[in-house]
Amino acid sequence: MTNLTPASREQKIQRGLKKRHRAERRFRIYGASAIIFGLMCVFLLFADIISKGHKAFLLTYINLEVVYDQDALGVDDPADAIQMSSGDFHGVVKAGLRNRFLDVNGRKNKRELYSIISNGAGYELRDSLKDKPALLNKTIKVWLIADDDIDTYYKSLGDKTGPFKGRMTDNKEVWLQELMRSGDVETRFNFSFFSQGDSREPELAGIRGAAMGSFYTLVITIFLAFPLGVAAAVYLEEFAPRNRWTDLIEVNINNLAAVPSIIFGLLGLAVFINFFHVPRSVPLVGGLVLTLMTLPTIIISSRAAIKSVPPSIREAAIGVGASPMQVVLHHVLPLAMPGMLTGAIIGMARALGETAPLLMIGMVAFIVDIPNGFTDPATALPVQIFLWADSPERAFVEKTSAAIMVLLAFLVVMNTFAVVLRKRLERRWS
Amino acid sequence: MNRIETHASGPSGQLSEKPPGIEVDYPEETVGTPLVSNPKMSVRNVDVSYSGKQAIHNVTLDIGKHEVIAMIGPSGCGKSTFLRCLNRMNDTIEGCGVSGLITLDGEDIYAADMDPVALRAKVGIVFQKPNPFPKSIYDNVAYGPRLHGLASSRAEIDEIVEVSLTRAGLWNEVKDRLEQPGTGFSGGQQQRLCIARAIAISPDVILMDEPCSALDPIASAKIEELIAELSQNYTIAIVTHSMQQAARVSNRTAYFHLGRLVEVNDTEKIFTAPTHQLTEAYITGRIG
Repeated sequence: MTNLTPASREQKIQRGLKKRHRAERRFRIYGASAIIFGLMCVFLLFADIISKGHKAFLLTYINLEVVYDQDALGVDDPADAIQMSSGDFHGVVKAGLRNRFLDVNGRKNKRELYSIISNGAGYELRDSLKDKPALLNKTIKVWLIADDDIDTYYKSLGDKTGPFKGRMTDNKEVWLQELMRSGDVETRFNFSFFSQGDSREPELAGIRGAAMGSFYTLVITIFLAFPLGVAAAVYLEEFAPRNRWTDLIEVNINNLAAVPSIIFGLLGLAVFINFFHVPRSVPLVGGLVLTLMTLPTIIISSRAAIKSVPPSIREAAIGVGASPMQVVLHHVLPLAMPGMLTGAIIGMARALGETAPLLMIGMVAFIVDIPNGFTDPATALPVQIFLWADSPERAFVEKTSAAIMVLLAFLVVMNTFAVVLRKRLERRWS
Repeated sequence: MNRIETHASGPSGQLSEKPPGIEVDYPEETVGTPLVSNPKMSVRNVDVSYSGKQAIHNVTLDIGKHEVIAMIGPSGCGKSTFLRCLNRMNDTIEGCGVSGLITLDGEDIYAADMDPVALRAKVGIVFQKPNPFPKSIYDNVAYGPRLHGLASSRAEIDEIVEVSLTRAGLWNEVKDRLEQPGTGFSGGQQQRLCIARAIAISPDVILMDEPCSALDPIASAKIEELIAELSQNYTIAIVTHSMQQAARVSNRTAYFHLGRLVEVNDTEKIFTAPTHQLTEAYITGRIG
């Protein structure tokens, strides 16, 4: 111990204090700037996605006079399904366009003219005739979906960089200008984006098929992974003896949680599809694969939740004569449930965003129909995003961003649900 | 002051670890009166070890009907371990081995056909730290009777809850808030709730593992009063750190030292005229 006079000790402490205060401030600034950086990244991501994707929720419609001509359609009884399905509704649309622009001549120009209305317009006419058979042989004005080139161009008219031309020709621009002058073009909310399946035509493509695919897949996953994971965690924590075997199992579970997800896809392909002959591309097999993938996460978080239940509660229950199973069912599980649910929802959120394993089991196919069950071919939201991002049409750019928004909305809803559930359970038990 | 440090922390139980300064031989046999006539529980030559480490050596002791027996001794002397053998709470600890004979009403409680669940319905336990379930007061007390099917109707359970809470001296304090969580009360109230929970299944024996060590003196005094009342109906074995408490509540006192039962005698005798030198050293504060 050196001899310090009170004055010099005071001086030394003061000098050190200043340094410490500076270090303290720096330390806080590091933390705050890390948070600001993170928030900025999130903000940029959202701004980018929303600015690109918001237009996908609008769709351009063109008002056109069409004649439900019995002869042109080849339909004399709208109740006859066969006639209706072979009826030339597209011809009616083409005739309507020819009547609107009487000065267009020549095959090439006419083909160009026909392409301003979507291929899907004919089906729309068919559906409205089916609903109202009285329309047969009537002439009415209807709003028809514009082609994606028109749609993209029209929606980008107000952009600072000028409208996106892409495959727009001069002729199409002229026709569109004319339709706009007479008030026959408008954008409406794109309901079909939420009600339709995938399509090669961007203006007809919807997210519903993928959303339902994700839904069915996650239902399988949660109903398999949660009970299995909780049962495994309870057994390992409460009943299994501690020995070399349980150590080995524990190490393996921890390792499984870190295995790249595509490996699980390969496993699913080899085991479920090739060995058990589960059909390809269906939510059932997707759910099974994602179950394998999320199981380790759920087991680990459930074990942590079980471990956090105070041992005094277990002792109390044993002390009044509860059997080991009653201790678990009456006390440990209810107290651990909020933690387990949090783990399960985190696992589900990861499963919802998972693409790679689904690619391996064929859930990457182009599927138009909306799946109606666990064994209908389907894709999932992240796969749909991947597919649309891969498509050449310009209009799919906004669809991709819109699909990301839907996926994020799914995640937010799931997480909110988890938080609410946890809060309610916590209130009940404490 | 003539205070002597011992190495009595942890269930090492090595015989060579005599407290320095006290020249005694470890007794091969417990001195005093470990045996009584017509005992409720009897313990014969019991050894307990944790993963091979012996914590209790050759303990023989009787617990008489409706008596309060206190177990005292320095930390780590094995008194809590011994208490937990009496209703097989040690079963839940891995690597814990019990040998010897422990009987309740003449029945071997470690026999292969003895169900620990049934045993614990007869031998209740109150722990060191109050540990009510995170449920309502009512459910805390009603849990045991429901578990063992002691009551068939809601009215019967209501009665059990009221009687148990009354016996635990808590009824007047909580009768209007039976639906409130038991975890929201003071430590002393929680401990009395735990006692109510233990007596709700009408056990024959109540084990208490330092029930007052987490409580303030006033709450402790209430628990002690309660023990005196309960002893009319129950056999009570209490582990305590406080010699004064042992002197106040118990009929007989057992002194443990390094896993051995050194002396058992009437409480009055042990605190006024201890037979064994170790007991004397402990109660006069020279070891502990």
